[in-house]
Amino acid sequence: MIGDAIAAEWMKFRTLRSNHWLLAASLLSVLISMGVAAMVVRGFAGQDTADRLRFTGIGDGLGPGLQVALFVMGVLGALSMTAEHATGQIRTSLTAVPKRHVLLLAKVPVLLGVGLVAGQVLAFSMHYGAMAVLGGHAGHVLMDGRTLGTPLSEPGALRSVLLSGVAIGLVTLVGLGIGAVVRSTAGTLVVLIMIVLVLPTAAATLPQPWRARAGSVMFEGLVGDGLLPPVAALALLLAYPVAALSAGAVAIALRGRRTHPLIAGLAATGVLLATVVVAQPAQASDFPWKACKKEMECAAVQVPVDWDKPQGRKITLPLVRLPATGSHRRIGTVFALPGGPGGSGIEDLEKKGAAFAQLRQRFDVVSFTPRNGLDLGVLSKDCLLGGPWIRLPSNEAEFDRQAEVNRAAADKCRAKDPELFANLGSDSVARDVEAIRVALGEERLSFLGTSYGGVTATNYARLFPSRVRAMVLDGAVNLLDERRLRYQVMEGQLVKFAAWCAGTAECVLNDQDVVKVWREVASAKRIPVRGRQVSYDGFDVQIAAAPHFISPGADNFRWKELAKAIVLARAGDASGFADYVKAGTGSLKPPSPVGMNMTHCLDGVGFRDYADFTEARSRNKRLAPNYPQQELWHGLACPGWPEPPANPPRPLPSTGLPPLLGAASWTEPDVDALVRQVPGSATIRFEGHGHGLYLSAEPCTIGHVNRYLTWLKLPPPGAVCRS
Amino acid sequence: MIEIHGLTIKYGAAVAVDDLTFAVKPGQVTGFLGPNGAGKSSTMRAVVGLEAPHAGVALLDGRPYGMIGRPLEQVGALLDASAAHGGRTARAHVACVARSNGIGARRVAEVLELVGLAGVAGRRVGGFSLGMRQRLGIAVALLGDPGVLMFDEPVNGLDPEGIRWIRGLLRTLAGEGRTVLVSSHLMGEMEKTAAHVVLIGRGRLIEDASMASLVGRFGSLEDAYMELTEASVEFAAGGRA
Repeated sequence: MIGDAIAAEWMKFRTLRSNHWLLAASLLSVLISMGVAAMVVRGFAGQDTADRLRFTGIGDGLGPGLQVALFVMGVLGALSMTAEHATGQIRTSLTAVPKRHVLLLAKVPVLLGVGLVAGQVLAFSMHYGAMAVLGGHAGHVLMDGRTLGTPLSEPGALRSVLLSGVAIGLVTLVGLGIGAVVRSTAGTLVVLIMIVLVLPTAAATLPQPWRARAGSVMFEGLVGDGLLPPVAALALLLAYPVAALSAGAVAIALRGRRTHPLIAGLAATGVLLATVVVAQPAQASDFPWKACKKEMECAAVQVPVDWDKPQGRKITLPLVRLPATGSHRRIGTVFALPGGPGGSGIEDLEKKGAAFAQLRQRFDVVSFTPRNGLDLGVLSKDCLLGGPWIRLPSNEAEFDRQAEVNRAAADKCRAKDPELFANLGSDSVARDVEAIRVALGEERLSFLGTSYGGVTATNYARLFPSRVRAMVLDGAVNLLDERRLRYQVMEGQLVKFAAWCAGTAECVLNDQDVVKVWREVASAKRIPVRGRQVSYDGFDVQIAAAPHFISPGADNFRWKELAKAIVLARAGDASGFADYVKAGTGSLKPPSPVGMNMTHCLDGVGFRDYADFTEARSRNKRLAPNYPQQELWHGLACPGWPEPPANPPRPLPSTGLPPLLGAASWTEPDVDALVRQVPGSATIRFEGHGHGLYLSAEPCTIGHVNRYLTWLKLPPPGAVCRS
Repeated sequence: MIEIHGLTIKYGAAVAVDDLTFAVKPGQVTGFLGPNGAGKSSTMRAVVGLEAPHAGVALLDGRPYGMIGRPLEQVGALLDASAAHGGRTARAHVACVARSNGIGARRVAEVLELVGLAGVAGRRVGGFSLGMRQRLGIAVALLGDPGVLMFDEPVNGLDPEGIRWIRGLLRTLAGEGRTVLVSSHLMGEMEKTAAHVVLIGRGRLIEDASMASLVGRFGSLEDAYMELTEASVEFAAGGRA
């Protein structure tokens, strides 16, 4: 009986020409998708690189075309019922099939069959049409990590297109159910327009996070990457037609009595609400974050001073969080590891938190003041900022004298808390991070390790590989490199400096052989600082000049300053260098801060003995003839250190870690070597000067990092970001 | 056989059919008469389940309409000529109804031939005249070769040839032993066609008698009708002459 009814409904459907016209009209949605893509391409092509990064992608390309398809197919389903009432056909239909629920249900397989087939055809046509219009622009990475258009090979794209097709099929049943309740064509169209067009538009005008929450339960919002987990979204997608059909069945059952469409509407709302309530996104854990400054939240965590004595004395580490904005389904936590060593992650998030704007769509961003942070407040910050001048020893006696000086400086700061001072290696910092992970209740963490924060990150990866979801090493220090690649950097910067100098009159060495002049001052025996009791030798010059070489600064202001200092030094006065060193550090020569060495030395940066030093010195003379001694400065600060190098650099395990992403500028070639220890890893190169690219808000790098952190997709080989 | 027991149909507070009881026997044409608004259409709709009665039942050979598996094989009804989607062809319209009751294309062609629509079977129903729509409705009613037939004003819109054809069709169907219930306002036609009369007014049964006895008592069906329904007319035109 129901089989006959279904066959009759199929015949009714296909013998009506207006149904064929409606199906043809649904193709309008494809034209709309392609039209929107064309407008986006026109706008995109007219922008420069920086503005392009801030574009919003068109996703799988369906866009407003999907709404049109949903509306047209919803009308198709509705007419299946309302046209019968409008034309009187219903009386014939009910005479032939007197059981009203059978009549209603017999329409379902017909509409579903037509709808699902048409839905897939429309969805894929809209997608391919839009992608074809986008052409080569589709793969362009935007700042939020998405591409301008997402081809089916992108994560989630195939699912979203397929589900859109399914939604187009299911909407026919929504139309049918509403038609069974409302019965009039005009009334049903009004309800359909509300559901498909008006409500989603109204939801989009709400402020976040209500916008995301409302949008995630709209019919069309359920097919993409919304707030609800995929299973819940699918359940809600099915709940819409079920609710509509239930309402229709209730309306039919109540026919003849005082039928209030309201009762049927309530039945429908009940089904929908029940599903929405059940399908709520999982809430984050209840870690006691409290609002502190601006949009940041603060907390604190206690960790043992000595990880070999976990039950022993504890210290408190302050934490800070930039919470996820709730506009998308939350993936987890990104832990920003500060550099230095001794830097403050809290200051990073406070001053540079804007760089995380797109990432916070899906992640909480957490950082802290690490145990070796100068701001921690246990050891004196003033003491830690200071340190001895390093002299290049020419014999073992001078080497031992430097060791005594190093020890005295360390002892001064260490006295306040010797137990803590002995536990400031990056492995202890990494264990602190692990304790924070447990306290946050996160299964795994994603990391952004900047500069020396990369050493913390690699220590964590070595100690807790199963807890690493993703790891970005941005300008990270590579302790395994033994600084070989670093030497090439200094030589390379010298060449760049010389090239710049030759090309502009703003360089006071413009008319001279820059490298030759440099070699003179870099190998000088003694250059006095006019008016002071201090003199610079070639080693001091190299140390003082290095940061200026590495970052030329806005409009190359540091290079201009450097050129002047070199000229002055060549004339026998080192005050060009001494002045800017004093401005930066308060001392006439660069001090080697205890706050830096207290971690460096435990991490094995120092020379083991005089022989180790001489071997490095002669090797470096070969590798960097014009700049031979700069990289000796760090290692010379550790001989004599009161604590042994308990955490020497070790390679990363090649298995058990996800592929890593490196981010490196011109002056950081050793980052790639660091990440390549894990197979499948890649580095995004920035063709320009910079350090800590993500925190410096370099938009192209941010795009690639966000893409990796969100979808674990690495940039293609050879990908670069240009300044 | 159609059995109506204590049928009561209300629309809100208004009572359209009031405790109506009668039976329609097979083998004869039964005329269903009454003034406008008497409840004839409501009663016939209740028989095929289009109307939910407030009280009472309407049974076909002992069963309610909704319980019949393939209802068109038991009951054929022409109640409303406009009950067709104008966008379909006549053939498609009849074929869809046929398919819902497991009736095949051959029978569809047969009934269309029978009612004289074979020539226009490919035309959309939206372009049909009233008479053509009536014939279409009759074709649908005949699809399942049913034992019970109900026609509500079947000659509406038909030309004299059509009227005579209906008269013959009804008599033939009744002669084949089927139960035939016809409502009409054309007293002359009824007198020639029906053997039994059920007369209702204001929802209540007024008379349930054979044509012969009515004509015998009052002289003609029209006189009988006028006399018996004097008190029950809902919508009387003008004043008394």
